[in-house]
Amino acid sequence: MKKFSLQQWLVVLAFVLVVSFTGVFAIRTVRRAIYWHYHQDEPIRPWMSLGYVAHSYSVPPWILYQALGLPPKVGGPDRRPIREIAREQHRSVNEVIAILQDAIIHARPPYPPPGPLPHPEREPSQGRSP
Amino acid sequence: MSITDQVLAALLVYGLPVLFGVILVCSVGIPFPISLMLVAAGSFVEQGEMKLWQVIAVASVAAILGDQIAYGLSRWGGRRVINRLSRKLGVEEKIKQAEALTKRWGGTGIFFSRWLVTALGPWVNVASGMAVYPWRRFVLWDVFGEVLWVVVYVGIGYVFSNRVQAIGEILGNFTWVMVGLITTAILGWQVVRYVRMNEQAGVRFRFSVARRSRSVRGADVGIKPGVKRSGTPGTSSQRS
Repeated sequence: MKKFSLQQWLVVLAFVLVVSFTGVFAIRTVRRAIYWHYHQDEPIRPWMSLGYVAHSYSVPPWILYQALGLPPKVGGPDRRPIREIAREQHRSVNEVIAILQDAIIHARPPYPPPGPLPHPEREPSQGRSP
Repeated sequence: MSITDQVLAALLVYGLPVLFGVILVCSVGIPFPISLMLVAAGSFVEQGEMKLWQVIAVASVAAILGDQIAYGLSRWGGRRVINRLSRKLGVEEKIKQAEALTKRWGGTGIFFSRWLVTALGPWVNVASGMAVYPWRRFVLWDVFGEVLWVVVYVGIGYVFSNRVQAIGEILGNFTWVMVGLITTAILGWQVVRYVRMNEQAGVRFRFSVARRSRSVRGADVGIKPGVKRSGTPGTSSQRS
């Protein structure tokens, strides 16, 4: 067989590189899929709203509002992301996330399930420290 | 806060205008976590914070408009540069061949780069514009592909509405796997073609050498029936 020219060797090299690249991303995709299959909860991120966090963690939204000392939202959607709430409360984003995680832990087994939404006339709690 | 967090926070607060703006800019070629944004929009639809038809309409129009801008800029701006360069470098014939190839396979490329291999979308827009791919056909494939892309990604976000971050990560990696697989297939085919070409060239070369040596030595010299000859077609030594 005639030997490969330089240009042909370059194509072979590109082929090997692309196969490696594809392999790396395929492994990453599978690893991520396996990880998320076994980890039900995704980390709380600054862009998330309290409604989304409650939806993602399957807890009633009012417990998150209560944990942050906010009046529970009834009616219209509250689209404020966590970073916005942190700014309003003069807290760091990490501090707010820690409070939310704490509230979520206490709303899930082995703790008793949270009851219905407290009466609106009741004073909201002053917020749970992390 | 990362750019992804900022874009998603803006989507949450301002809704459709942010969806429109980011998809438009991304379709022109500026990289943004656009797939994750569509998945998030699907999740917000499921939670009742956005309306499905509005998300699909706005995202599709933004994507199609962005593609048209990229195509137009490449066709009427980039074409002049290509013409000048090809004349200078003397590769006009090669450019014409590439254009013919784009016109033949462009539709498939445009369609799949809209929704399956989204990372290649902006490049395909530029290539189509520069190769003067027929505009009406470009629009047709573009509309089909973009609407499918929006529906699929918003649908995924709707179904996995509580796992936006996780699905976004998986889809982001999956897009690159698809890009890699397609490039692997193209390069692999090229390597196989080279091997075949070189095999045939080697056979022709050895055959011509053998014929020349036979004509020099005479037809009755050194070749006896049943004796293995080296360097002629059909013998095992050719493939070594």
